[in-house]
Amino acid sequence: MSSTASGSVPAADTELVGRAAGGDERAMAALYDRYGQVLYAVAYRIVGQRADAEEVVLDAFAQAWREAARFEASRGSVAGWLTTIARSRALDLVRARSRRERITATAAAERPDTSPAMGGWPLDPSSGVDIAERRRQVQLALEALSPPQRRAIELAYFEGLSQSEIAERLQEPLGTIKTRVRLGMQKLRESLRPFYFEPGR
Amino acid sequence: MSHPEQESPQDLAAAYALGALSAEEARRFEAYLARSPEAQREVAEYREVAALLALAGPESAPSPDLRERVLARGGVPAARLAVSRPRSGRPWLALAAGLAAVVGLGFGYAQLTTARDLRREVAQLGQRLQQTSDQLRAREATLNSILEPGVQLFQLTASGDPDPLVQLFWDRRRHRAVIHGFRLDSVPRGRAYQLWFIKDGSPVPSVTFRPEPTGHVLVEGIEVPAEGDVSAAALTVEPESGSPQPTSPIRLVGPLKRSS
Repeated sequence: MSSTASGSVPAADTELVGRAAGGDERAMAALYDRYGQVLYAVAYRIVGQRADAEEVVLDAFAQAWREAARFEASRGSVAGWLTTIARSRALDLVRARSRRERITATAAAERPDTSPAMGGWPLDPSSGVDIAERRRQVQLALEALSPPQRRAIELAYFEGLSQSEIAERLQEPLGTIKTRVRLGMQKLRESLRPFYFEPGR
Repeated sequence: MSHPEQESPQDLAAAYALGALSAEEARRFEAYLARSPEAQREVAEYREVAALLALAGPESAPSPDLRERVLARGGVPAARLAVSRPRSGRPWLALAAGLAAVVGLGFGYAQLTTARDLRREVAQLGQRLQQTSDQLRAREATLNSILEPGVQLFQLTASGDPDPLVQLFWDRRRHRAVIHGFRLDSVPRGRAYQLWFIKDGSPVPSVTFRPEPTGHVLVEGIEVPAEGDVSAAALTVEPESGSPQPTSPIRLVGPLKRSS
């Protein structure tokens, strides 16, 4: 891959959010083209199937447009803001499901072979976002963690468990879990820093 | 609880950005966060890490029409209630469709959803309907307040010209006024009209407002000085935040006394 994140700064995500807040459809379209794929990815990983993941993406963007006027760049990047919304909506949906359905979904999520490839995404050439490259780097970074660290982070992020709930689930002391989360996230930060959606955060 | 050992708030930034703090812990951390720019930077960076974690799952692609659906939907909270999705661009049409769906509730669910989802959506839409009726009620209240017997109408003009015109409805019992302006000149960016009541011969600052591009404006619930001799009202153009004293010539003025 020729492009890494450090090459070109995504053109004015924040400005796009400002315009989207005013109802500018082209700004909305541009944000979708940049981050729709990322939002769909986190939704799919959490809810485990396509139709629900699409609902989550729809809900998440609708919420984003409603809240765009209150977006504060000082609190984090646009990518971070959007994925946080999508993750929350996905976790809501999973919590609303019955336990049986959830087990099915988790099983489906662990069988990626049934899903189509990432063909249909219109890439926004101005954004410098190369999702495939980032995906690879994230997987490498996660593989570099110790399995317990990885597990703790995945339970928190994809299942929405608090550290206490993780400790309970894994029958481990809370302090141990906290250390795993902290050290694991530090390692991820070191290895993923060149690939941030918004370089220099 | 357990392990109170040297867990500095700084250590919590990663867990916070990951969404791994309990509600109580998150609340306490946010109190610290509000005061610590350094922690804010830490959290912002860890949010980038968390955003990248979105890509940790298996590859999958949505239906090709998802983009169109996202854009057609706009900011409408509950897609599943939209009876017909507007096919072309305008998100605010989708909003109208959503509201129409409230009225026509009971047909056209695009997909099966759980009873709990539906209850939530109905609650949301009910809230919307409530807001709309509240607005209507407020409008009606304005109208009633204007039509009430004790309310007197005065006119503010620019040296007697018919244009522009501001009508001032003064409810003396409640010490409130409503102003209704027509064909007002637009004001430069950062400036606004300010209303003044002339009380005992001196200007008392009141509301500021910017007219719509059509020159029209409606401002409700304006407080009128309850005591003293309020003899006139006037408009000047001031900075948008208002001035304690008029800083520019009077644009419109009118007596608040019956001429009889």
